[in-house]
Amino acid sequence: MRDTWQDTFLIRNKLGLHARAATILAQLSTQFDADIVLYQGDKSAPGDSVLALLLLESSQGKTVRVECTGPDAKGALHAIGNLIEDKFHEAE
Amino acid sequence: MKLSALISEDCSKAAVLFNSKKRILQYISELAHQKIPDTNQHDILDALLNREKLGSTGIGKGIAIPHGRLVGLEKVLAIILVNQQAIPFDAYDDRDVDVFVALIVPDGENKQHLETLASIADKLKSKVFCKRIRQAKNDKELYQVLVEFDN
Repeated sequence: MRDTWQDTFLIRNKLGLHARAATILAQLSTQFDADIVLYQGDKSAPGDSVLALLLLESSQGKTVRVECTGPDAKGALHAIGNLIEDKFHEAE
Repeated sequence: MKLSALISEDCSKAAVLFNSKKRILQYISELAHQKIPDTNQHDILDALLNREKLGSTGIGKGIAIPHGRLVGLEKVLAIILVNQQAIPFDAYDDRDVDVFVALIVPDGENKQHLETLASIADKLKSKVFCKRIRQAKNDKELYQVLVEFDN
């Protein structure tokens, strides 16, 4: 059985999921042995694809659901959740 | 937003040849300055270089989206360049980059910027599109590929 963990997070940073934020998220995603998918409305994107993440157009105030499946699912969800909550390390 | 509306024909440059990140960013700032003459070319280059310092705009698959923000700009300026060879750009997937979609963005424009990025990503996610723009022999052909994929 595959281990799946998921949670929803609010995009808090002013710039939203812009290019730099998406790149940091993709880099982080590749560090885990897990399939990571972000959902927003009717759109979804693999966590390791910057292009797909940009297509979500997640602006400040949007909620995204992160679903992680695989051996590192729990750790991946924790790390990605922290990154979003920490505004992708941005000041505002 | 249509890519052929975002990028004008004179901002579509096929088969250019630059051998470093710095050279290609200089060329982008030259082109941008020609299109928006009331800006300072050094300011444009500084904005692009400063953005790269925060982290490479190489978004994988041989593609980069160098961009910078300028105060007082009325609307976004977009430029597409296809380099004859892929060059090191510190992309997160370690692949060298030959396709550049550069953006000079009005400072403070956030939601619109995300829409612009999504319009670009929507085209670049297509392998066929990327293959066709890499095969374009001249600027006109490159722009025609943008038009074709918008329709």
